[in-house]
Amino acid sequence: MLIRFTCNGRPVQIEADPQTRVLDLLRDELGLTGTKEGCGRGECGACTILLDGVAVNSCLLLAGKIEGREIVTIEGIAGEDGALHPIQEAFLDVGAVQCGFCTPGMIMSTKALLDEKPAPEVEEVEEALSGNLCRCTGYGKIVEAALEASRRLVQESDQGGESG
Amino acid sequence: MSYLKPNSVAEAAELLESTGGTILAGGTDLCVYMAEGLCDPETLIDISGIESMRGIRLEGDLIRIGACTAIAEIASSEALPTCLRRGARSIGSPQIRNLGTIGGNVCNASPCGDTLAPLLTLDARFVLRSAGGTRTVECFDFFTGPKQTVREPGEILESIEVPAATCKKASAFRMIGNRKGQAISQVNASVCVAIAEGRMTDVRVAVGSVAPIPLRLEALEGVLTGKAIGDVGLAEIREPVLEGIRPIDDVRSTASYRQEVTVALIFDALTACGDQASGEGDGAC
Repeated sequence: MLIRFTCNGRPVQIEADPQTRVLDLLRDELGLTGTKEGCGRGECGACTILLDGVAVNSCLLLAGKIEGREIVTIEGIAGEDGALHPIQEAFLDVGAVQCGFCTPGMIMSTKALLDEKPAPEVEEVEEALSGNLCRCTGYGKIVEAALEASRRLVQESDQGGESG
Repeated sequence: MSYLKPNSVAEAAELLESTGGTILAGGTDLCVYMAEGLCDPETLIDISGIESMRGIRLEGDLIRIGACTAIAEIASSEALPTCLRRGARSIGSPQIRNLGTIGGNVCNASPCGDTLAPLLTLDARFVLRSAGGTRTVECFDFFTGPKQTVREPGEILESIEVPAATCKKASAFRMIGNRKGQAISQVNASVCVAIAEGRMTDVRVAVGSVAPIPLRLEALEGVLTGKAIGDVGLAEIREPVLEGIRPIDDVRSTASYRQEVTVALIFDALTACGDQASGEGDGAC
């Protein structure tokens, strides 16, 4: 089946089995290996991507479902010039990474939250990240990084508002 | 293997009859079964793109919830009673709630499904569509066993009807699991009551994960009717609760723990209903 969708802002047309998991389509067909497979059962959130702007587990999403829809992966959030996204910068600066395997998923869940709610409370960050597991037990710094990213993004948009 | 994507519920019902395929909605349960090799469907009928099966609409004296409405939308809809919103919110994770559907939670019919006790307390009805027409089944009559319902192989759950009057009642949902996120209920409880002149009328109490199906506790409802919430003590509800439930020991919990927790959760939910009726606490819809 020919599947057409938008991935990281670009139109994609691909001949694929509609029962393929989007996780496999991204990693094996499109070479986007930033999206990770942890449990493959929707429990760990390592495979989190944005589907029409909301966070979903790509291991539970079949390719047939994304026809005509818009996907954003960790590869799609960097700037045009390849600069890291402010959320990625904040994760680095705060040291919210240990082995790093859960990090793409954590960042995509953080992005879904901050797109919807630019200045969340700490409880809202915890809720937004509740579907992402870190087995290095680094949650404290991850939550801190999400809040730091929020502060930077809010500041950026305030400055953008003044100059524009 | 084929993957069919009907555009209307009529087309979906025809395809279901002609192929005997497996219905795919959110996929949050089905894809796990597929990943674990528990099922390998020959034909998938993906109903998630059917526009008329999504959304929450007020139709006269009832609220119609499309079966493919995402759990996340149920959790955040101001148009729905508190118990149903809170039940939806306690399911899975944000990612799961964005994909999963209320129709999937109902048809999967797990005794621990967190929208099931709320739907029982709201006197919900399920509209089942087949190639031959539609029929409506009371939530109370729908579940027959773990993962078993009266839904026939050729039927699709099209929508869920909730009486709009339930929005005027006080309602609350409580659950207990191993952790806050991603936890499957060890016990869940939903209470929905009307309060007239300080006393409970039209009482509904339902619990999940303590019997093969989500259960309404009618004996307890009888005990509570006519009383003021503030006058009801924990000791008073204990017997009728324990007589009504049949918990077991399993991977998530033990029967004796579930007994104690069921009593406590119902009491807590009742208290929340009292707070709601007096304008405190977690607010009606």
